[in-house]
Amino acid sequence: MGLWEAFLNWLRSLFFKQEMELSLIGLQNAGKTSLVNVVATGGYSEDMIPTVGFNMRKVTKGNVTIKLWDLGGQPRFRSMWERYCRAVSAIVYVVDAADPDNLSISRSELHDLLSKSSLSGIPLLVLGNKIDKPGALTKQALTDEMGLKSITDREVCCFMISCKNSTNIDSVIDWLVKHSKSKS
Amino acid sequence: MAQPLVKKDDDRDDEADYSPFLGIEKGAVLQEARVFNDPQLDPRRCSQVITKLLYLLNQGETFTKVEATEVFFSVTKLFQSRDIGLRRMVYVMIKELSPSADEVIIVTSSLMKDMTSKTDMYRANAIRVLCRITDGTLLTQIERYLKQAIVDKNPVVASAALVSGIHLLQTNPEIVKRWSNEVQEAVQSRAALVQFHALALLHQIRQNDRLAVNKLVTSLTRGSVRSPLAQCLLIRYTSQVIRESANNTQTGDRPFYDFLEGCLRHKAEMVIFEAARAITELNGVTSRELTPAITVLQLFLSSSKPVLRFAAVRTLNKVAMTHPMAVTNCNIDMESLISDQNRSIATLAITTLLKTGNESSVDRLMKQITNFMSDIADEFKIVVVEAIRSLCLKFPLKHRSLMNFLSNILREEGGFEYKKAIVDSIVILIRDIPEAKESGLLHLCEFIEDCEFTYLSTQILHFLGIEGPKTSDPSKYIRYIYNRVHLENATVRAGAVSTLAKFGAMVDALKPRIFVLLRRCLFDNDDEVRDRATLYLNTLGGDGAVVETGEDVKEFLFGSLDIPLVNLENSLKNYELSEESFDIDSVPKEVKTQPLAEKKAPGKKPTGLSAPPTGPPSTVDAYERLLSSIPEFANFGKLFKSSAPVELTEAETEYAVNVVKHIFDGHVVFQFNCTNTIPEQLLENVTVIVDASEAEEFAEVATKPLRSLPYDSPGQTFVAFEKPEGVSAVGKFSNMLRFIVKEVDPSTGEAEEDGVEDEYQLEDLEVVAADYMLKVGVSNFRNAWESMGADCERVDEYGLGPRDSLAEAVNAVINLLGMQPCEGTEVVPSNSRSHTCLLSGVYIGNVKVLVRLQFGIDGPKDVAMKLAVRSEDEAVSDAIHEIVASG
Repeated sequence: MGLWEAFLNWLRSLFFKQEMELSLIGLQNAGKTSLVNVVATGGYSEDMIPTVGFNMRKVTKGNVTIKLWDLGGQPRFRSMWERYCRAVSAIVYVVDAADPDNLSISRSELHDLLSKSSLSGIPLLVLGNKIDKPGALTKQALTDEMGLKSITDREVCCFMISCKNSTNIDSVIDWLVKHSKSKS
Repeated sequence: MAQPLVKKDDDRDDEADYSPFLGIEKGAVLQEARVFNDPQLDPRRCSQVITKLLYLLNQGETFTKVEATEVFFSVTKLFQSRDIGLRRMVYVMIKELSPSADEVIIVTSSLMKDMTSKTDMYRANAIRVLCRITDGTLLTQIERYLKQAIVDKNPVVASAALVSGIHLLQTNPEIVKRWSNEVQEAVQSRAALVQFHALALLHQIRQNDRLAVNKLVTSLTRGSVRSPLAQCLLIRYTSQVIRESANNTQTGDRPFYDFLEGCLRHKAEMVIFEAARAITELNGVTSRELTPAITVLQLFLSSSKPVLRFAAVRTLNKVAMTHPMAVTNCNIDMESLISDQNRSIATLAITTLLKTGNESSVDRLMKQITNFMSDIADEFKIVVVEAIRSLCLKFPLKHRSLMNFLSNILREEGGFEYKKAIVDSIVILIRDIPEAKESGLLHLCEFIEDCEFTYLSTQILHFLGIEGPKTSDPSKYIRYIYNRVHLENATVRAGAVSTLAKFGAMVDALKPRIFVLLRRCLFDNDDEVRDRATLYLNTLGGDGAVVETGEDVKEFLFGSLDIPLVNLENSLKNYELSEESFDIDSVPKEVKTQPLAEKKAPGKKPTGLSAPPTGPPSTVDAYERLLSSIPEFANFGKLFKSSAPVELTEAETEYAVNVVKHIFDGHVVFQFNCTNTIPEQLLENVTVIVDASEAEEFAEVATKPLRSLPYDSPGQTFVAFEKPEGVSAVGKFSNMLRFIVKEVDPSTGEAEEDGVEDEYQLEDLEVVAADYMLKVGVSNFRNAWESMGADCERVDEYGLGPRDSLAEAVNAVINLLGMQPCEGTEVVPSNSRSHTCLLSGVYIGNVKVLVRLQFGIDGPKDVAMKLAVRSEDEAVSDAIHEIVASG
């Protein structure tokens, strides 16, 4: 039976194949590359090296192929984020919810980016990562700290996730898949 | 859509030579580049657009900063495609665009991923790009992968890593040097290209360590190199090792010669040729060593491949200059090459034959050359002309036919360079072969009757003015010269007037006739011509009578001007504004340019017309002028000797300093030539602090600091010492460079206001006895020796202790004395047990010195020497002995 279902899924994906493009940004050490790995393979590793530049990954979920631009978060790359966010289906902004010291920088970088006219109207997904750690912010606190309420010109959504424990990763994928349809 | 494409192809057939991209425009292509941003990529289309962009870049088109940035970032988006062909284009594009460092870093992660990819092509290309864009910090991160890649089993990947290593060695030598083990492993690779690249890198890593290079060559010449290209490299490194070790072992067998000789039997032609060439270029190669190399080159001469024939004949041509006898065996093969379809081969063949031929074959060769002269390009004609010139100097008896040949080709069509070469050759022949003078001058006269080059006409007129009056019948040249006044442009006319005046001044009998001609020139429509005529008419004097011209007038009119023209020009400009009368003595004689540059400027080969008749000014002249222009040193008297520059810094340091020792009778001046090699610095107030505490007889009298020393433009600072007159005081000096350093903004080139005082330690410098000796040769040593007489002869014997060889001992003594070896006696025949060496020189105070050295060597390499000195002054003879005794 399972085999049959898989076959049906495959057939369905042939006919209803959809694509979406995402850029994954946020300050360094927020967990962007880890998120890509979790979404793509489900694997998680504690020691990661900083991304120098960008990683390009293609992930297939159901009948949707997701192109992921995973960009480096160090200051020298931040001016280049905008170039890889143009014309994407959604911008995914990852925040380290357990690192209150850097929240204000994270907020200003996000608002700077969204003020670019080339990116107007592109949906924004803010992910508070590392909720497995003690002292992580709640969703409400993060929404306030990041000033998400003030963003009115686009669809904004916020999830609290943990790449380490794969918490809430499914709802993130669901949200993304849903937005791919509206795009194409 | 298919239709127009097919049509296009038809068009292309008609004009197959044109690039399909001919006429594409940058703007349109940049528009097309938007396909890189399409959500659904078309790899084929993208590759095409990148090709167009690359084509534009290669055609010299430049992108603005904005355009380049835009293209670069859209190209990076192509990393999403898995198409191998497109990825390769992306790599090439990134390398060609070479965006700024802060942008290009964005592809680092993608390249690092590709560098460890399973696809060989990705690995190889990613390595090349990554090494191009990387900086030191990143390099340490990827070093591990690069080391792995060097020993990768895929040769393309290994080569990419090795070549990258060669590039990186320039910027990060200390990192690349750590890869030695891997590179060494790669040298043993089975793949030809890997071996080649690995050997090149390994040599570069070790190139500054002579011992290591020696070891490398020694181990590899035992035969593990399979790739012909690598073998060629090895041959080059080997000859370098031979060159460097030649100084140490002059006698006995040459190291590695057997290896070179063995390579002559290699199966690859390129290796055979490389080895043959290396042998022919050995220092002091003997005819026994040459023979096998010449034999293989001779085989190449009859090869069916033009490139081999060319290579062989070119090498033989060079050999013919030094060892004409060795090449004579090839003469028959070479003669058949004269009719070779390839004109370069034919020209080289014939010039080689000219060099090796004997007197009897000259006429036959000349006939053959005449046949093909019209078929070859000017540059080869120049080669032929130069060969004929040297042939004529070698066989002066043949000057008639050779001079005829030169005059014939002078009459034919040809460009300026070619004509100049011919004229130069004739001039040199006139100067060196007295019998050729009259006919040569007449040929030149005929040439200027129909010469389209103003430069050559004026030069020949000038030369005629010098040589013409000295001939047996000067009057016959007058007509040719005066014709110029009628027929040519103003420049040539003015030159002709000067020449006429020279005849008038030098040949008193012609003076009345010259005056008539000069008076006619007073009506010329050009100012300069009239001015010259008037000047000469008034200064020559005698009013047309046959009288002798005063020496002063000759000196005034035709003497050389010892003032730099630039200075004269500046002084005249100032004079135009001022009220005072002009005084030529007030023009500064200081030469602004660096004397070292001047040394290079006078031609390397014998120049004809362009050199003044006295020959190019020697370095000593240049130094003398420089020193006499500095007021502090003006009263030191006549410069006795200037040493060759001695380096006081290692190569490739921040500041390069060398010193020239100028010896005067009672003074010594050190000229420090400094070069600043740091673009970000400006040095000011540069002096050298010389500590003479180890040189007791010297006392510092003057210092001339260098006001400013910008990047890469050499300057000089001087320090002068007083020493006892006429005595060869010696001593050791330690030196410190002191200066004020100012930072320079590289973008604007402006220096900051404030500087920091700094010092830089230089190496020590010594004044030795040889500095007081001028190398002056005598043509016949025996005659000179006899005529000097035994009055002031001093003879003594010395033991020189154990030495490696007799030659080494001879060299040591020659260097110690700094004298000129005579009659080739500095060369010690190998395996000889005794040797006599003759030296001559001029000691400070202008005392002529002759030295006869007799060396003997006994069993345990102990060298004994008998030194006989003759000079005009006993004290000097004693001084020479003292030098040897203390040396």
